[in-house]
Amino acid sequence: MGAFEYRQAEEIRDAFRRHGVRYLFLGKSGAILLGFPDTTQDADLFVERSPENCRSLVPALTELGFSLTAGQSAEIERGKDFVQLKNGPFDLDLVFAPDGIERFADAWQRHVEVEGFPVCHLDDIIASKAATNRQKDKESLPRLRSFREYWMRHTPGKRGTP
Amino acid sequence: MRRMQDDPARSCEAGSPSAEIPRQWLEEFEAAARRPLRERFRYAFIRTYKPVLDDAPFRAFDTMEDYRRWCEENLPDWLGYGRV
Repeated sequence: MGAFEYRQAEEIRDAFRRHGVRYLFLGKSGAILLGFPDTTQDADLFVERSPENCRSLVPALTELGFSLTAGQSAEIERGKDFVQLKNGPFDLDLVFAPDGIERFADAWQRHVEVEGFPVCHLDDIIASKAATNRQKDKESLPRLRSFREYWMRHTPGKRGTP
Repeated sequence: MRRMQDDPARSCEAGSPSAEIPRQWLEEFEAAARRPLRERFRYAFIRTYKPVLDDAPFRAFDTMEDYRRWCEENLPDWLGYGRV
């Protein structure tokens, strides 16, 4: 399996749109979409945990090429907090309850669209990374916060969290 | 001797939102902004094998706390998934 490609991000966007899945790019993959120059391995998606959305998610993932057993599909439909997929054309982390973000609806209100990709606001990306308290996130936070300064100055109309 | 201002991570005062952007990082942000998204993707997404983490095709965790604990108990420390 190769690295995650722009074409695959487009496939996610298009398949999720067709199936009406509500989601946001989160984590470093989200920051990269917003212009953050760094490296990462996989895409993190913050998926709305509603019964209807979780049900729509399974056929969208199947269409993308993920091989899901009946049991795995059921776990996704139940909306567990975190699902890690490595059984498809690229690695995908599905996060239904990210640390540091209270509700999907709040993140959706603040979200940013980049070339049709729905992306969490940088403040939410930073909040979720800060809340994990992991070594790898702690190391990336100073640069991410500096990027937020740059991004807020250069991207008009991007409200920060109060 | 390495001075504090030589290290962007330290010179931005532990990432305080109101801190100045270190010059090196600013140059990197500006360079990235000049690239189209498709090109940024090519530089940003890499593929390396992560022991244990990459060895199962599917994992699901009831809570984020379960996931964090699983990472701490099963992944090598050097991957950085442990809490500090």
